[in-house]
Amino acid sequence: MSRKKSRAILGILGLIAIVLSACSAPPPAAAPVAPTAPGGGAGAAPAAGGPVASGSTCDALVTKAYAGNKLQLAAETDQYIEGFRALIPRFKTLSGIDMNTEELGYTDMRQKATADFVGKTGNYDLMTVDIVWSGEFGQNKWTVDLKPWIERDKAQLAYDDILPVMWTLGSWQGGQFAFPLAGYANILSYRADVFKTAGVGVPKTLSELQAAATKLTKADGSQFGIGLLGAKGPAVAQDFMAYMQQYGSSLLDKDGKPALSTDANLKALEGFKSLFKAAPPDATGWWWADRNDAFAAGKISMMLNWSIAIKNHKNPSMNKFASDIETAFSPLGNEAGKYGFGGWGIGINADSKNKDAAWMFIKWLTCADTQKVWIDNNGAPIRRSTLTDPDLVKKYPWFPVLLQSFEKGDGDYRPRQPWYSKMEDVIGTQVNAYLVGQTEAKAALDEMQKAAVGIIK
Amino acid sequence: MAAPGQMRVVKKRRPDPRNVTHLVMLAPVLIFVLVIALAPLVFSFVISLTDYRLTDPTQARPFVGLGNYIKAFQDKTVVDTLLNTFLFVAGAVVSQVVLGLALAVLMSGETRFMRTLRSLIILPLSLPPLVVGLTWRALLNVQIGPIAFYLKQLGVDVGRGLLGETHTAMLAVLLIDLWQWTPLLMIIFLAGIKSLPGEIHEAAFVDGASRWQAFVQITLPLLMPVLFIGVLLRTMNAFKIFDVIFVTTGGGPGNATSVLNFHIYKVGLTFFDMGYAAALANILLFMIGVCCAFYILLLHRQQARAGGT
Repeated sequence: MSRKKSRAILGILGLIAIVLSACSAPPPAAAPVAPTAPGGGAGAAPAAGGPVASGSTCDALVTKAYAGNKLQLAAETDQYIEGFRALIPRFKTLSGIDMNTEELGYTDMRQKATADFVGKTGNYDLMTVDIVWSGEFGQNKWTVDLKPWIERDKAQLAYDDILPVMWTLGSWQGGQFAFPLAGYANILSYRADVFKTAGVGVPKTLSELQAAATKLTKADGSQFGIGLLGAKGPAVAQDFMAYMQQYGSSLLDKDGKPALSTDANLKALEGFKSLFKAAPPDATGWWWADRNDAFAAGKISMMLNWSIAIKNHKNPSMNKFASDIETAFSPLGNEAGKYGFGGWGIGINADSKNKDAAWMFIKWLTCADTQKVWIDNNGAPIRRSTLTDPDLVKKYPWFPVLLQSFEKGDGDYRPRQPWYSKMEDVIGTQVNAYLVGQTEAKAALDEMQKAAVGIIK
Repeated sequence: MAAPGQMRVVKKRRPDPRNVTHLVMLAPVLIFVLVIALAPLVFSFVISLTDYRLTDPTQARPFVGLGNYIKAFQDKTVVDTLLNTFLFVAGAVVSQVVLGLALAVLMSGETRFMRTLRSLIILPLSLPPLVVGLTWRALLNVQIGPIAFYLKQLGVDVGRGLLGETHTAMLAVLLIDLWQWTPLLMIIFLAGIKSLPGEIHEAAFVDGASRWQAFVQITLPLLMPVLFIGVLLRTMNAFKIFDVIFVTTGGGPGNATSVLNFHIYKVGLTFFDMGYAAALANILLFMIGVCCAFYILLLHRQQARAGGT
């Protein structure tokens, strides 16, 4: 072989080495996932009795039985993360457990948790679980089915105090693969001063919402009626699905089959785009942070957003219009419309070696008295008693709106199915393409339907 | 040579100690290539032949043969992302080579000012692409970005912004890439220019050649091997564009900036379809390999011509 040829071959090999290091798919963990029995990775139901409270306070739920153990929590950095930061030191003192939190962004959280599950490494004992992950986690039995634990400790948990809709945070085909942690309601936040000046009432229907948004939009572009999420991907997909739900249409038919290309969805999609005329032009590229920033800057007069964000907007150091911000129910298209419900649960890794200690933490964290501290530190409520507590209602006057939104809330408008992420991607791509004029409404829905049939088998 | 009729005595040759030394010296690199590069390549190819999904409760990994590759070419999203990838690679490489060469020629002077300017121009290279993307996203922001602000002051309708319009989004991403990576080519070309023998240019000027003629007929041909290296490096990198698109457009608006590497990320790390993602990654690898082989072939031919062989 000539020297030139040898050099060329070596050169190509070297290039392949460089390219591979960046392009090859990340090596997944090889170990297969074995479905675990209900009640825990060891296949055993929790021991009867367990740590029992000796008194009525939440702290009595914590014992020193697991002192010296370690608990690792993977928590998404949503606003409730401050609640963990505030409460975990107390739990450590009460229990003697060495508890650590790994704070992760949304994408990171899902990727790291999945790697932990598939590799069966059990790095995380506890993790926050987005409502839309319920199906995926439940189907794979990645997290412990807490149903037997809940049944056993119903009294300690004050089960009936937890609002029914909260159980969608982690439920899947009869199992409960995460415990309710933070309930979010899709509600309307608006600038009362701007509404008053313009003589606009709080919209109760989608047509009133459109009219109000249009009226509040100034021609010179200094003020817009509404802020919407239009960025390709989860942002626009979630905003559109919420709009569909308010409108009364849905992704699936009664049999759970894809039903996207319908007249009702067509009208919903056209109505959704019509709202963008009253939003800043670049809203077609907005994520949640962009909308919050625009609202804090006074650029938009209202937005439909998750309730967890309100507290920051009512904080004068974070929003200069804080005193003028009010909340109301999401406007609905018709009687079939429901309020969007979402949020997070907290699950126990099926491969955790500290399941009992993790369960003790969950019980303590979600106990009514602890919830007051949780709420004061940017946590979100799950209990009726929290939402009706006179002291808390005084501090957080939007709680009555939240309570009613939860009571008429629907946690399934974003299907909690294992295929959700793929469906969200399809919707997020097609709706964004329609908003920016790359496709027509009917064509977008037809594309969604075609893709959905392939995804939902 | 053995005389006729005599038996040829074959002596067992002892290995040349120099070759052994060379082999020992090369061993770490060879092991590195085998473990770090070839092993993942083989693994990636093997799983690309299976329907391997991390979210499959059975973890069965059924063998599908070339099914994932066939699926890729029937997938409209993949075809769209491939077209966008080629568009991006062509735009990025051509614009950056031209601009990089122009900057290298303009800044080849050895004055203090030029040296300072060169140091400043290469600063973008030191920034991670994610930081570059976020910075440009803020700069181009229609509401708070300074670029949009001044354009509005001039009475320009910025609409959804450069990153938000389907017909300008790819251009905006190309501009960001141009800003970051042109200095790399400038440095490579500058090194090439500095290594050229000055006598040839001096002789050309004595013979009455203009600067342009000297550049086109002397500098450019002599610089060709360096140009090829620059084009090769940028082509490989441009095919792998991900970070900037991830933070600026997320592949949007619509499908305007959705490139193959971004799609691979989604399939692999959002949908966890590892088999299909591996097949897509191998397609990307194949395309880069073909481009690299083509460039190397051209380089060899050019060198052969220059050497008169």
